[in-house]
Amino acid sequence: MTVAIIGIGCTSFNSVTAEVSFKEQMFEAAVKAYADAGVNAREDIGSFLTAAEDYWEGYSIFDEFVPDQLGAVLRSVCTIGGDGLLALANGTMQIETGLFDVVAIEAHSKASDMLTFDGILTHALDPVYNRAFNVHPYFIAGLEMQRYLHETKTTREQCAAVVVKNKRNAMDNPLAAFPADMTVDEVINSTMVSHPLTQRDISPLADGMIVIVLASEKKAKELSDHPIWIKGLGWCSDTPWLEARDWGAAGYTNLARDRAYKRADIKNPRKEFDFAEVDDYFSYKELQHLEALQLCEPGKAGKLAEAGEFNRDGAFPVNVSGGRLGAGNLLEGSALQSVLECVYQLRGHAGKRQIKNAKTALAQSWRGVPTASGCVAVLSNEN
Amino acid sequence: MSFDKIRDPRKIRHQIGDMECDYIYTAGVAGERFYIALRDEEKLLATRCEKCNITFMPPRLYCDNCFTELASFMEVPSKGVIESYTITYFDRDGQALPEPEILAFVKIDKTDGGLIHRIGEIKPESLKIGSKVTAVFEAKKERKGALTDIKYFKPA
Repeated sequence: MTVAIIGIGCTSFNSVTAEVSFKEQMFEAAVKAYADAGVNAREDIGSFLTAAEDYWEGYSIFDEFVPDQLGAVLRSVCTIGGDGLLALANGTMQIETGLFDVVAIEAHSKASDMLTFDGILTHALDPVYNRAFNVHPYFIAGLEMQRYLHETKTTREQCAAVVVKNKRNAMDNPLAAFPADMTVDEVINSTMVSHPLTQRDISPLADGMIVIVLASEKKAKELSDHPIWIKGLGWCSDTPWLEARDWGAAGYTNLARDRAYKRADIKNPRKEFDFAEVDDYFSYKELQHLEALQLCEPGKAGKLAEAGEFNRDGAFPVNVSGGRLGAGNLLEGSALQSVLECVYQLRGHAGKRQIKNAKTALAQSWRGVPTASGCVAVLSNEN
Repeated sequence: MSFDKIRDPRKIRHQIGDMECDYIYTAGVAGERFYIALRDEEKLLATRCEKCNITFMPPRLYCDNCFTELASFMEVPSKGVIESYTITYFDRDGQALPEPEILAFVKIDKTDGGLIHRIGEIKPESLKIGSKVTAVFEAKKERKGALTDIKYFKPA
C-alpha cells in the first residue's frame, strides 16, 4: 500500500465536556493534526471524511455540520455511517485513486450531549422482532457473553482480568477518561446489568475527538519524518438478524482480518505484530476479537489474559492505551483511538507506556451492540 | 484549546432539545404472514432455501446466502432449545426493572434460526444452555399479531 498517516490530533477524553461545543472540540483536534502533519488545511488537504451517526449527534443530516471546524468549507467532504476505521479505509482509497494526495479523516464522541443514550440504542434494534420487551439493549451482550463462556469454557474471572488490565493501562495514558487500579473481585461484584455481564464489564462513555491526516507515498516522504504506513485494511458486516448470528464468536472480524492480512502479507499474526489495539466495548469482546484475529488459539484468550500474556509487559501487549474500557467509549471515535495509540507507539512517542522496538501493529474495531460490523487495519513504521 | 476558556461552571450554557421521532415500521410480506399465523393459528412459519439447506426463522422472502427469492412458507414446531440466556436488570431507558427479566435466544426446532424471547415457569438457577423449551401462547382474545402473542417459552 502507498498511503501513510502523517498527522494525528485529538482532544483529551472526558466523561463530560460541557464547557466546549463539539465543533470547538473538533477544531482543536483538527488544528493539532494539521500542525503535526505540517499541512495547511485550506491549501493542502484535498478531501475530508468524517465517521458519524445522526442519532449520536442529535442532528438530522449531521454531515452538513462538519465542514467549518475542519477547514473543509467549499471542499470535498463526505460522512461515513460507520466507525472511524471505515473512514480511514475510505480516505486511503481516495488517495489510491490518485484524486487526492492529502486527506483528513475525523471521528468523535460527544456522548455527554445525549440525555437518552439507552433509548437511542434501543432504536437500533429491529422494531418488528426485537423491541417487544422493555429491557436494556445490553441484554444482547449478556446473551453473547453467556454463549461465549459456555462454548470456550472461559471464566467470568478471565473476562474481569481484561477490565483490570485495560483500566490499569489507562493510568499511563494521559488522554484516558477512566483509568483505575481495580481488582477482579471489584469487577465481578459490581452491579449486575445482564447476567453474566456486570457494570464494570461495560466501557463507560466519554467525549473526545480525533483527526488523522493521510498522505500518498510521495507526499508522506516529503512532509513527514515519521510516516506510519497503512499496510492492510479490511471491513465486514454480518447479518443484522440477531436470530441468525453466531452468538459465541465475532464472525464479522473474519473477512476483515483475511483481507487486511492478505494485503499486508501477514502469515503469522502473533509473530509479525508487536502489539494490538482491539475493540473492548465489553470485557469478553476483547477475548473474542483476539481469537478471531488469530492472535491466539480459539477459546484460549481468557486463560492467556488471566496469565498476563496481554499485559503491557506481557508476551503480546493488547490495548496498552487502555482501550474503550480505560480510555473511554468514544462511539465511532474509538476505532481511531486505537489507530492513535498505534501511531504513538510506532513513532516511539508513547512515553512511559512505550513498547520497545514496535514496528508492526494491528488496530481492530467493532461498532457495539446490536451491530455485527467491524474493521481491521495493519500499520507499520516500515514501508 | 481556544484562546479563552470558560472557568466558571455556573456560567456554562446549554440548550435542551429533543428529536421527536415517530414511525410506523412495516412488518413486510414475510412478517405479515408470520404474525398472522402466530395470532390466528398458534403456528410458527418459516421459509426455506432448498439450494442452501437453510430454514429461516423468522421467515424471510430471500436467502441471504445465495440471494434468491423464497416463495414457500412452512410450519415449524413452536419449540426449541436455549442457545443462550441472560437475566437482565435494567429497562430500555436504563432504569432498574422491578423484577429482573429472563431472556433467551431459543433456537427453534427444524430451523436454522430462532426467536429472542422470555423464559417463564423456571427458577433462574435452573436455566441451562441446551435446555428444551416450548412456547406458551397468550389467550386468543389477547393476541395482537405481535411477538408477545407468545407469552414466554417454558421448559418442555
